[in-house]
Amino acid sequence: MEGFFQFLQSFDLGRQIYQTVFYADRWSWYLDGLKLTLQLTCGAILIGTLLGVITALFSISGFAPLRFIAKVYTTIIRGTPTTVQLLIMYNVIMVSSTNKLLVGTLAFGINSGAYVAEILRGGIMSVDKGQTEAGRSLGLKSWQTMLYIVLPQAIKTSIPTYTSEFIVLFKETSIAGLIAVTELTKIANMITSQTYNAMVPLIVSALIYLAVVMLLTFVFGKLERRLRKSDAR
Amino acid sequence: MTQDKNDPIIQVTDLHKSFGRLEVLAGINETVKRGEVVAVIGPSGSGKSTFLRCLNLLEQPTAGHILIDGVDITDKKTDINKVRQGMGMVFQHFNLFPHLKVIDNITLAPLQLKVFPDKESARKAGMELLDRVGLADKAGSYPVQLSGGQKQRIAIARALAMSPRIMLFDEPTSALDPEMVGEVLKVMTDLAGEGMTMVIVTHEMGFAREAADRVLFMDGGIIAEQGRPEEIFSNPKNPRTREFLSKVL
Repeated sequence: MEGFFQFLQSFDLGRQIYQTVFYADRWSWYLDGLKLTLQLTCGAILIGTLLGVITALFSISGFAPLRFIAKVYTTIIRGTPTTVQLLIMYNVIMVSSTNKLLVGTLAFGINSGAYVAEILRGGIMSVDKGQTEAGRSLGLKSWQTMLYIVLPQAIKTSIPTYTSEFIVLFKETSIAGLIAVTELTKIANMITSQTYNAMVPLIVSALIYLAVVMLLTFVFGKLERRLRKSDAR
Repeated sequence: MTQDKNDPIIQVTDLHKSFGRLEVLAGINETVKRGEVVAVIGPSGSGKSTFLRCLNLLEQPTAGHILIDGVDITDKKTDINKVRQGMGMVFQHFNLFPHLKVIDNITLAPLQLKVFPDKESARKAGMELLDRVGLADKAGSYPVQLSGGQKQRIAIARALAMSPRIMLFDEPTSALDPEMVGEVLKVMTDLAGEGMTMVIVTHEMGFAREAADRVLFMDGGIIAEQGRPEEIFSNPKNPRTREFLSKVL
């Protein structure tokens, strides 16, 4: 390790890397940042999925007020920038909260819920009307037909778009630094302000994002292939 | 079934159905007796399928009454789900559940609606039905792995799993390759022989002639002519029936 550090010190870029990554164990800052980024993402996707499923069911409900609620929610969330939503959550709605991670998770979760709802609604719409008719003609109630016949098929077709929403969300958490959550991008900025070096911290964080996205893409791809196999086409 | 062979099981009075300004059913009066096999024929757009779909309220009639076993299903207070449990329906495009194995396609509704006390007995009954349509070996397959004819036989088994008193068939062979029509008609003929009440919208004139007790000829949203198959096919009285039959026979 010592030898590697000496090698780094021997040229300019190496010195920059040493300063911003290895000096004073700064590499562990990136990892802490990544941890927060992942916490934000996972918390938000959980909230988003829950909200999304409920909203999607509202939006296809026969009861007009529920459809209206779903419409208002998805319209507002999809019609305003995530950054503004995050700031409103932090500075207006939850201004008394000291838990910034919670505020961020909620803001991203509520944001994601609107997109998940639309993804799932699309999936439900794509299920052939004959499926519902077949279920109802057997005497199944409307909710039973939805739960056992339509939803399983809708979820299956929604999964590719859902996983890309997960990836979008993961990258979008990079704005959480605005409310002082020390996620990966914020860490890069902090290191920059300490070292007066912008290039290396930003590129390091970019590479970390990229690595995680590639890993997620690989895992989700495998999952989708597995699901398709159960179709046994 | 111990009920009287001749008591009415479906009674339709003055049935109207409009889609917007288009009147598809223009006043239908019809009674189907228990155990009767009724074939509904007629040109496309004549309202055959709409008529059939009104019988289990997949289409909501605009006016008129439909009594199933004496229960008026057009009455808002009727529990239509309960009535539908006693009526199987077979669709032109099969509508099997693609995410479920064949056996689960059959047992889903009986299990959810608690026709059977447990999974095992439902499965056993399902296997018997599969055996009856000659597809017991396909229990573990998914619908995509089956041919059209096999799919439709599974769809019939699925409908029978609720032990219905009435079976509705909406052009059950129209989406099939010609060589698969026979196997489906065979299952339907067997069913008719067992005394099932059946209403069949079909383009299979040969089948209507052989298997039906009565043939309804629909045109322009009404039943233009009806009678025993040999009368309708050999000696149609209505000129529109004659014209239709001359085109399809």
